[in-house]
Order: sequence, then C-alpha cells, then structure tokens
Amino acid sequence: MTSRGYRAFQVFNALVLTGVVVVTLYPFATIVAQSFSSEHAITAGHVNVVPRGFNLTTYKKVMSDSAFWTNYRNTVVYTVVATAISMVLTTCYAYVLSKRQLKGRRFLIGIALFTMFFNGGLIPNYVLVTDLGLRNSIWAIVLPNAVSVFNLLVMKAFFESMPDELEEAAAVDGLNTYGILARIVLPLSKAVLATMVLFYAVSFWNSWFSAFLYMDRSNLFPVTVYLRNLIAGATGGADQGTASDTALQIGANIQAVTIVLTVVPILTVYPFIQRYFVSGVMLGAVKG
Amino acid sequence: MNQLSRRGFLSTSAGVAGLALAGCGGGGSGASSKVTSANRTGAMAKYGVGDQFKATVPLSFPIMLLSNANYPYKADWLFWSELTKRTNVTLQPTVIPGSDYNQKRSVMVSAGNAPTLIPKTYHPDEEAYIAGGAILPVSDYLDLMPNFQDKVAKWNLQGDLDQLRESDGKFYLLPGLHQDVWKDYSLAIRTDILQQLGLAVPQTWDDLTTVLRAMKKAYPDRYPFSDRWSTPPQPGANNLLALVGEAHNVWAGWSYQHAQWDASAGKFVYTGATDSYKQVIQYLNTLVSEKLLDPESFTQSDDQARQKFANGQSFVISANAQELVNHYRKDIAKISGATVVKIPVPTGPIGAAKFGSRLENGMMIANKAKDGKDFVALMQFVDWLWYSDDGLMFAKWGVQGTTYNGSVEDGTFKLAPDVTWAGVNPSGSKNLQVDYGFFNGVFAYGGSTKLLNSQFPPEELTFQNVMDGRKALPLPPPAPLNSDDREQATLWQTSLKDYVDQQTLKFILGQRPLSQWDAYVSELKAHNSEQYISLVNQAYQDFKKNHG
Repeated sequence: MTSRGYRAFQVFNALVLTGVVVVTLYPFATIVAQSFSSEHAITAGHVNVVPRGFNLTTYKKVMSDSAFWTNYRNTVVYTVVATAISMVLTTCYAYVLSKRQLKGRRFLIGIALFTMFFNGGLIPNYVLVTDLGLRNSIWAIVLPNAVSVFNLLVMKAFFESMPDELEEAAAVDGLNTYGILARIVLPLSKAVLATMVLFYAVSFWNSWFSAFLYMDRSNLFPVTVYLRNLIAGATGGADQGTASDTALQIGANIQAVTIVLTVVPILTVYPFIQRYFVSGVMLGAVKG
Repeated sequence: MNQLSRRGFLSTSAGVAGLALAGCGGGGSGASSKVTSANRTGAMAKYGVGDQFKATVPLSFPIMLLSNANYPYKADWLFWSELTKRTNVTLQPTVIPGSDYNQKRSVMVSAGNAPTLIPKTYHPDEEAYIAGGAILPVSDYLDLMPNFQDKVAKWNLQGDLDQLRESDGKFYLLPGLHQDVWKDYSLAIRTDILQQLGLAVPQTWDDLTTVLRAMKKAYPDRYPFSDRWSTPPQPGANNLLALVGEAHNVWAGWSYQHAQWDASAGKFVYTGATDSYKQVIQYLNTLVSEKLLDPESFTQSDDQARQKFANGQSFVISANAQELVNHYRKDIAKISGATVVKIPVPTGPIGAAKFGSRLENGMMIANKAKDGKDFVALMQFVDWLWYSDDGLMFAKWGVQGTTYNGSVEDGTFKLAPDVTWAGVNPSGSKNLQVDYGFFNGVFAYGGSTKLLNSQFPPEELTFQNVMDGRKALPLPPPAPLNSDDREQATLWQTSLKDYVDQQTLKFILGQRPLSQWDAYVSELKAHNSEQYISLVNQAYQDFKKNHG
C-alpha cells in the first residue's frame, strides 16, 4: 500500500529524471544527427535531433583517412596495455593495503594519498619523463598514470570487506599469499574488478593530455589528440596567419562524424559491464 | 647547537638565492655576433642574396612543427624531400597539434628541451622566455642572414622591426616580412540593394551613413547594418571599431592598444582618452541612434549576424575574403538576385591611408644553437628558406613544373592543372597543402606584394590593388618596457581595458551621453591611465637614449 505522498514523490522523481536524461542525451543526439547531415543544413542551424540532408559521404571521407586509423589503433593499444598494467598494480597495492597487520601500512597509504593533494607540476613532470627516456613511447602514457588513488581506495575497501576466515581457511589448506590472492580473492572480486577495468579503460580512452605532451610524432598520437586538433585547431588562434589566407574550414559534419566514431566503442562496452558496475560502486560503500 | 643550525639554514638559503640569480643572468651574455670557425660546419663560405643555400655536408635541424588540422603533418610530403635535395638539410619535426601548440611550446622551452627552430610565435609571446635565457637574441646574428637584411633595407622595414625590440635593444624573434601593409578585413555590402536604390558603393564613412539611411528609408522594418566579430573581451563589433579607428588614426576594436603615439607632441597619450577615439565613438553612436546599426552588433554571436545577413534582414556586415566567398555568397544564394561584394575599406579624416605592421608571426631559435658546430649553416638555412625569394616561392607554391608553372614576377604564374588549393582547380586530384605540404603556415608567410597577390582570385585582387594604392602611415617609435615595469603595466592595462571597453559600449549604445566624456576621461585617470602613459613615455625616452 503506497501512500499518496510516496506516489507524488515517484511522479516527481520520474519527471526530474526524465528531464536529466533528455538534457544529457540531447547534445549527443544532435551530434549523431549532425554526423549524418549535410554541412549546409548544420551551419544554417536546421539540425536538431533529426538529420537533414541525409548522407554518408562524410563517414566515408573520415574513414578513408589513414591518419585517423593509425591514431585509432594507438588509442586501442594504449587503452588495453595501460588498463592491464593499471589493474595489476592497483590490485596488488590495494590488496596489500587491506591487510591490517601489515607493518608500515599507514605510511604506504600516506604515499598514495599524498599524490592526491600534491604534485610536481607540469614542467618537472615533463623533465622527469624526458630524463627517464620515456618520451615517444607508450610508457610515457602508461606509467605516470598507472595507479589512480581513488580507484585504489575503492578497491582497498572492497578487499577489507572480505571475511578473514576465508583466507585463513585457504592458508590452512596450504595456499601462500599469492595463491590466496589469485585463487580465492580475485575470483570473488569480479564486480569490483569489472568496475575498475571500466574506470581505467574510459579514462585512458578519453585522455589526450599526456599523449599530447610526451609524443612528438603524429603517428604516435591517440585518436583523442586527432579529434581535439580537428575541433579546437580549426577555430583556435594559434595559426591565424594561415587561417586567413587559406580558404579551408573543417566542416561541422566532419567533427561530428569523428566524435561519433571515437565514442562508439566505449559506448558499446558499457551495457555488458553495467550490471557489475552498479554493484561494484556500491560495494565498499555500505560496510560495517 | 640551535644557533649553528640556524646559521646553516641561512647560508644554504643564500646559496640557493645565488644560484637562482646566476640562472637569471645567463641570458645577458653574448652581446655581439661572435662566430668562430668552430661553428662553420656545413656552412657556405660565400653566401649572399640570390645564392641557393646548400650545406656542404648533410645536416639536420630539429624543428617544432605545428600540425594544422586542415592539412595534418605527413612525412612523405614533397616539401621535405625537395627541401633536402635543394639544401642538403633534413628537418626533424616535433609534431604538435595546432590546437595546443602554444602550451607545448611553453613546456618544451621551459624544460630546456626545445628543438632548435621554434616557428609560429606571435610577438610578444617570446618575451616570456627571454629572462630564462632559453632563446637566442637573433638581432645579434643578422650578419649571417643576407636575404633578411636585404629585404629589411629594400622594403624599409627598420621601423617595423623596432617594434620587436626589448629594453636591451635586441629582438628575439625573426618575423615574417611583408613588403606592404596587407589589408583583408572590410565590409561586405549587398550590391543588388545598392542598385535597386540607385546608390554607389560608399567611398567614405560618411558615404556609408548616407547609404544606410537610404536603405533604412526603403526598409524601415530592419537594421541595414548588423555586425559580427564581437568575441569578448573587446567591446564588440571589433572589426568595425578597428576600421573606423584606422580612418581616424587611432587604435580601436581588436587593434586596440593603450598607448597612442602623438607625433606632433612627440609623446604617447592614452588612446581611450583621445579626441580621435571620441570621434570614432561619436560616429558609431550616430549609426545606432538613427537605427542604422543593429545594437545587437556588439553582443550577438557570429552565427546570429550571419543568419540576419543570410535572411535579408541586414545588408551590410563585416567581412574578409574568406568569409565572403565561403559563407556570405553561399548564405544569400537562396535570395533571388542577391549579390554581395567586399568593398574597399571606407576612408575617413586621414584620407586614403592605412596603418599596421608589416611583420608576421616569426621564429625563435634556441639559445644553445649558437654553440653548435653548424650554427652558421643554420642561420644561412633559415635565411634562405624564410627570406630569400626562391625560398619563399618554394615554401608557398612548391616546385616549378610539378605544382606550378610560370612565374610570379611576370604574372604568368599558374598552379598545375591537377593541383587544387583553396578553390583553385577544384577538380584537381592533389591538394597543394594536404598532399604536397606547400603553403604550410609554418613555412609560407610574408614576401613581396607580387607573391602575396599571386594567391588571390581577380575579385580580391581588385580589392588589394585599391588598398595597395593607399599610403602606409609610419608606425609609432619603440617603447619597450623592462620586465619589472611590464608587470606593473599589465596590472594597469587589465583594469583600464575593462573600463574602456565597458564605457565605449555605453557611449555607442547611448546608455551614457557623450556630454559626459570629460567625466569619463577623469575616471580613466582614476584607473591609472596617466601613470601608465608616463611609464610608456619613460620607456620611450630610455630606449631613444640608449639605442636610438
């Protein structure tokens, strides 16, 4: 038996959430519509959520650019490698930190926390990465961002919530620390692992700054740098001299197509991980 | 014990301070061009104007390369292979997306990691790197650059170059050099409306008022003039303000500068307080109050202005060659019989004159390059590619017989039929920029008027010829501030700029009557306009005394 107040709340809730969904989806729907529209219709402001002057030529044009695919491949490689390394490091670090009997545990947590609040700054980081010889290699992107402290803390909380008895039983049965982690703890942590994979993968997929900073050759750029140059570079002021004497402007439809192509893969992964995702974020949140 | 550690601390901090000072002092040394035989690897013994530079041994120079989104960097451009063939030099590019070029340049230079050649720098961006000693005072080494010197002398560019000088009398940027002041921005007018009303193309700003009045009479329901380019922080309608300002010989709109040179008094005065500036405001105020100029011109987005023009709600709008052809013509295509042209910039009280700098963005050279074995060859190479006639032609149009035919000098220049560029030869299979790497903003800018004109279609050429016929007014003398004063000046400038912009808009829109002009001028003084100007005048005097 639901009270009237609760029903009113539900209606209100549904309205607000529908509003949020519309506000969130509308810009994206516009971009998708633009990607299928003619450029003339876009600049005239006729495109909302329905494509006008439907055509696929822009898709063909963007997809025939070899630089786009080179950078796309880089993004996939960087994301896969970086996510794998991040997962290994974060899992090991979090597992260690979840053991209350560990000596120096607070110090190890302190080190991680410190980096949340302080960092060396742009130029010292650049000098460091350069002097380590990481520039123009995948490691410049992977290593400095390998451990996200936020993810680390979520994972630590999750491991702490596991009953100690489980691990004790495994130890009695003859497993060492690594065996316990690999054969007992991880199989029981699929939810949090899936969540972390998603967090890392999305952040590496979307990241452009470290690649922009540390990569000096265009065949090493990820697709996000390509995309950013396409959108910001077309209107930016850095190249005024040529902007005024060349009659080229990058069409709004080319930008839209590139955005759609860049977003699609990460978007298609979401539904498959989503069920882990919800439980993964909740885990560690409610705990006695 | 306690005291000892405190003393230890003091001496350590003194040491740190000393190190910091030593670091700052690094840039000051090397006053004159001291090139020894140790710097001559690959250099040509005899290199002068008209000579083809070719390194005597193969050399390679690192360069920062802005990758333009319109024509992204490719390693197999004909530009690279042909450059190496002609000069024996291979450039090693650090490719930077154009979207964030300045940021990466800043990081690389500050980290001491910059490539030798750092092009596409707009004055005064280079000033940020001078104190650190990271960039070369190029003015000390001009004797290695015969073509540069030749162009400066031939085109009488000394005054323009002086604008780049710092308080030490040197400049740190090798700018692109134009033979003449190049004007592109003006107004676009619907010529079919002019014809319909029996009006001629306006020659002066007063003519424009007459034309707008006639348009208003025929179409009382709309504003005949609705303008664009109102991006903050300027007051809005920035091109219009700049153009009217130029006709009155005063900085305004997006050309606004705080210090205006008063030649008769021989000193700088504060721009926003001058009578000329008042006349500019008065003119625009008249247009607004007679409802000839859309008051939204100062606030609306470019797209809004374009849409009004496209729908026939307005007949006049700011333009450059590119906007005219790429947008306005296409926008009004749906109005039957509608035609639009870019008119020569209307003239004002100073007559058929123009002013502006003839310098383009330019190149910084890393300071460490001067100790390199191939330093002389480097300077000769830069001189050839960016300043010799052959180098300029090569960077812009490519290779004769392959990408173009004929010559710019005798007017027979023509792109090769299969090469397309900016709407020329639209059916061509190869793009001059995308596929060949020529006409690249990193390498091709500046040059003679003939070279510049070779890129224009006949219509734009007519406009250019009118503008070329106007005499260029002299630039103000240099008044470079030293770095301490610059900081103070920047603080003053920021609040002054806000205030001038705000009040300019209020006066133009009639929200503040022009009778309050004197009150406004004293308000400027409250914002330190006089202190600022005396700082500039002091810098002018100092520079004249030390380097004049």
